[in-house]
Amino acid sequence: MTLTREAPVATVREAPRKPRRHDGLTTALMAGPATVLYVVMLVIPVGLAFYLSLTDWDGFSADPAFVGAANYASLLDDPELRRAALVTLLVAAAGTAGLNLLGLGFALLVNGASRANTFFRIVLFYPHVLSALVVGFLWSAILGTTGAVNNLVTTWGGEVLPFLSDPAWATVTMIAVLVWAGFGVNVVLYLAGLQAVPHSLIEAAKIDGATRRQVFRNVTLPALGPSVTINIVLSLVTLLKTYDLVVSLTAGGPAGQTQTVAYLILWNSFHDARLGFGSAQSVILMLVTAALAFVVTRLRRRGEMAVHQ
Amino acid sequence: MRKTFLWATVAFMLIPLYVLTVNAFKGQQEILGNPFGLDGLTLEPLGRALTNPQFDVVKGYAVTLLFVVAVNVLSVLLAAPAAYTIARSPKRRFRVLMLFFLAGTFIPGQVLVIPVVYVLKTLGLMGTIRGFVLFETTLTLPFSIFLYAGYIATIPAVLDQAAAVDGAGRLRTFWQIVFPLMRPAVATMVILNTFSVWNDFVNPQIILGPGSGLYTVTTGVYAAVSQYSTDYTVVFPTLLLAIAPLLVFFVLMQRHIISGLTAGATKG
Amino acid sequence: MRSPRSSLVLSGIGCLLLLTGCGGGGFAGDSQAQQSEGRQVTVRMLVNISPNLTQAYWDGLVKPFEQANPGIDVKIEAPTGKGVADTLPQQLAAGNAPDVVETLMADETLAKQMLDLSDQPWAKDTPLVEQAKLGGRIYTVGVGVQAQSLVFYNKAAFGKAGIDKPPTTWDELDAAMGKLKAAGYLPLQTGGDFLTGLQLLQLSNPSRAQNHPTWQQDVSAGKIKAGESLLPYLERYHGWIGKGYVDKNALGMKYADAETAFLSGKSAMYVMGSWFTAAEAKAEKDFEVGVFPAPVDKGQQYPGPQGATLAAPYMILKSSPQKDAALKLVQWLVTDPAAVKSQLKQDGNFRTGVERAFTPLEKQVQEILDQAPAGVPQGEGYGDATLPKGFNSAWNTEVQGLYVGKSPKEVAEGVDRWLAGRS
Repeated sequence: MTLTREAPVATVREAPRKPRRHDGLTTALMAGPATVLYVVMLVIPVGLAFYLSLTDWDGFSADPAFVGAANYASLLDDPELRRAALVTLLVAAAGTAGLNLLGLGFALLVNGASRANTFFRIVLFYPHVLSALVVGFLWSAILGTTGAVNNLVTTWGGEVLPFLSDPAWATVTMIAVLVWAGFGVNVVLYLAGLQAVPHSLIEAAKIDGATRRQVFRNVTLPALGPSVTINIVLSLVTLLKTYDLVVSLTAGGPAGQTQTVAYLILWNSFHDARLGFGSAQSVILMLVTAALAFVVTRLRRRGEMAVHQ
Repeated sequence: MRKTFLWATVAFMLIPLYVLTVNAFKGQQEILGNPFGLDGLTLEPLGRALTNPQFDVVKGYAVTLLFVVAVNVLSVLLAAPAAYTIARSPKRRFRVLMLFFLAGTFIPGQVLVIPVVYVLKTLGLMGTIRGFVLFETTLTLPFSIFLYAGYIATIPAVLDQAAAVDGAGRLRTFWQIVFPLMRPAVATMVILNTFSVWNDFVNPQIILGPGSGLYTVTTGVYAAVSQYSTDYTVVFPTLLLAIAPLLVFFVLMQRHIISGLTAGATKG
Repeated sequence: MRSPRSSLVLSGIGCLLLLTGCGGGGFAGDSQAQQSEGRQVTVRMLVNISPNLTQAYWDGLVKPFEQANPGIDVKIEAPTGKGVADTLPQQLAAGNAPDVVETLMADETLAKQMLDLSDQPWAKDTPLVEQAKLGGRIYTVGVGVQAQSLVFYNKAAFGKAGIDKPPTTWDELDAAMGKLKAAGYLPLQTGGDFLTGLQLLQLSNPSRAQNHPTWQQDVSAGKIKAGESLLPYLERYHGWIGKGYVDKNALGMKYADAETAFLSGKSAMYVMGSWFTAAEAKAEKDFEVGVFPAPVDKGQQYPGPQGATLAAPYMILKSSPQKDAALKLVQWLVTDPAAVKSQLKQDGNFRTGVERAFTPLEKQVQEILDQAPAGVPQGEGYGDATLPKGFNSAWNTEVQGLYVGKSPKEVAEGVDRWLAGRS
């Protein structure tokens, strides 16, 4: 990933050795299989997605017609996609904020080696081990109209809380569940970042009479720069492709208001048999993901430079 | 103050797990009447979930485990030597190859799965275990190669040269000298890949399809639960069966898993 | 020294050979390999799984067929997606489509993939076969007829609310709902899932069919707009939400929840197809369930035309390597008396000339079917009265919009915009 500031390619050192006769063959044996598999199963499909996005194919007929950019044109005025794009961006933005604020916050709280802290880390982290599909079904059983919480509320004489039946609530619920399930990872990553903060700097600042807040803002946070970049990019890239949780938590509802782009891609491609149209959405999702990851990395890098100067 | 807050958070994190566990042992009336209570516990729903004709849990575990092992083995066999070639070569075209692999880390799986259907179909691998394993392996390659190449760069090249002087070929040098030193990096990748294969839903759903008769834990849970997502005597026991072994494994191995994941993300 | 590029190509070829070459060995799950062995053929059938139609039911249904035809093994496949509608295209795309598919009706897109059954003598006597013809050809054969436009009601609730005669017009329905609400009941049970749109289609069939007898054809031809022509019903439904005649949180309820809620006596009316009778027969409850045909506009004929769809429609895929066995199976499924009866009973459906032991409620539904002046296609429709694929779910999504603040007009426009994008 382009997340580190030093890509390993840059650290490759020339290893002087005698050229051997079977060198080419050996190289092919070592790098070939991976490259071929990568090309066949990843590069060709990406090209194919682009090609399919220029057709009106239903996915199985013998006669796909080439329609040029028509699918891309209809992307623009497809209200379903517009809504899904908005939901996806909202989930990505709010989710990234939530994951990172909670991640960094709790990392600071459970920093340091102790038995209790180990326990806390395990508890914060465990939902990540569960598949998003299971997490969604679990939370829908808890927050659904007939779920655990609403049963409690109604037996106490309250009104049903529309966690999953009102569009705004459902979107917030979905983001909250994503954050619940994922912030443990960010905690762990920020903890790793905190280990890298030079202890001497913190001590020096303390000796100079800095308050805890000042130490955090002026020493810890700048040193955490690379961690922040990694965390934000990872969160964004993960959240932009939210699919499993939509399937199990809301099934895209109510009124289709929680469909994400990834959900719509598969729905359009198969249920509506508009594979060409779905592929156009795929291409856009791919480009947006790459672009956002790139931009965030660049912005953060510039930010770090500014801090270090 | 800090402690109270942390314990409150712990409660919030664990309540869903508690609800899941107690309700897996209750009837629909007890679940609806008192979702947090402990009355009327019975093993009957769990027994029914175990014998659900829609989803054979034990077989689901076996199938998923087979995938995890196959993908991990294949991924190491392919990625490690490729990373070695890249890391030890001064040539420009290998740097390009590295970037070429790196680009793959930004492609969302959902985008790939539709066109991959046609590639696998052409190769006659659609709906087969082999096709699925090869595709899942491919998804692990970009990051594995990146991580391995980074790690190999930290292993002194002097070691290779010594082996070469002793007359070992590059293949033997790699597998016998360098690969054993890559253990930490390989362990990290195995942990990362295990979780991503285990929890994958969309790829097995589409590539295996109903024709193969193969269910992983996730697609099996979907088949068993999605139609009946409010018949809680199906939902809770099925979910419990799907996660319990994994959670036990996680708690036992947590130190390795967490540090492995950390290493994976921060080195990456 | 060979250049790395050419050696990459070389190893690439080797790798591909390895992929495709190690074909048969090692792994299970190659269904093709099993099929070619011996005389035994496997017919794969993709079916709808629902609370009525479980995997166990399907397995049991085809058992007698397998016993009578020892050379044929029927493999029931459950959808891996949301349902048959998205799993079949997925399988078609993957090139491993089943031999037989249940639940879907042929439309322009699917018909090209399906076997033409027009020259099968037995196909001509199956229910609704004329209506389901596409371009004069038979692709789909079914077991029976589902009556769609039925309103089931809680007789105790109607008694308590002082309603002695079921409503026959929309206005009477509104008045009845008012009384039911006053009597402390939720007047109409609705739900989320696919239920929201389905119920409104079911409810509107009889009056819509009198205003627009060839609605689907007219919509396809661009003579009328789908959403616009259904606007009066959308407005009425919207009114019910405002007046609390339906639960404003209904979207949080799954199909099964809605059914359970009605059967537990919490709500007074439930609009559903005839298959609900199967669930009613199984449920324990302390009140009697009645049924009346969906209401019509004032001045229209009552009962109006009944929404009628094909129960358990079967199609055979053209690509099937086991056409003979598949034909045999489908013929058996739609003509064998025991198989037909079993399917009708299991999913609460009807077929003229097939006598089976009816529950009192089923008897009433049969009477409604007999009295209906005509059977009309619903929503997406079938045969030559077919709207673009996916209409029903698009309609459903839009109708759900009424619950989340959209106006009836916006919903109607949304439906029309969807259709405009597909033609």
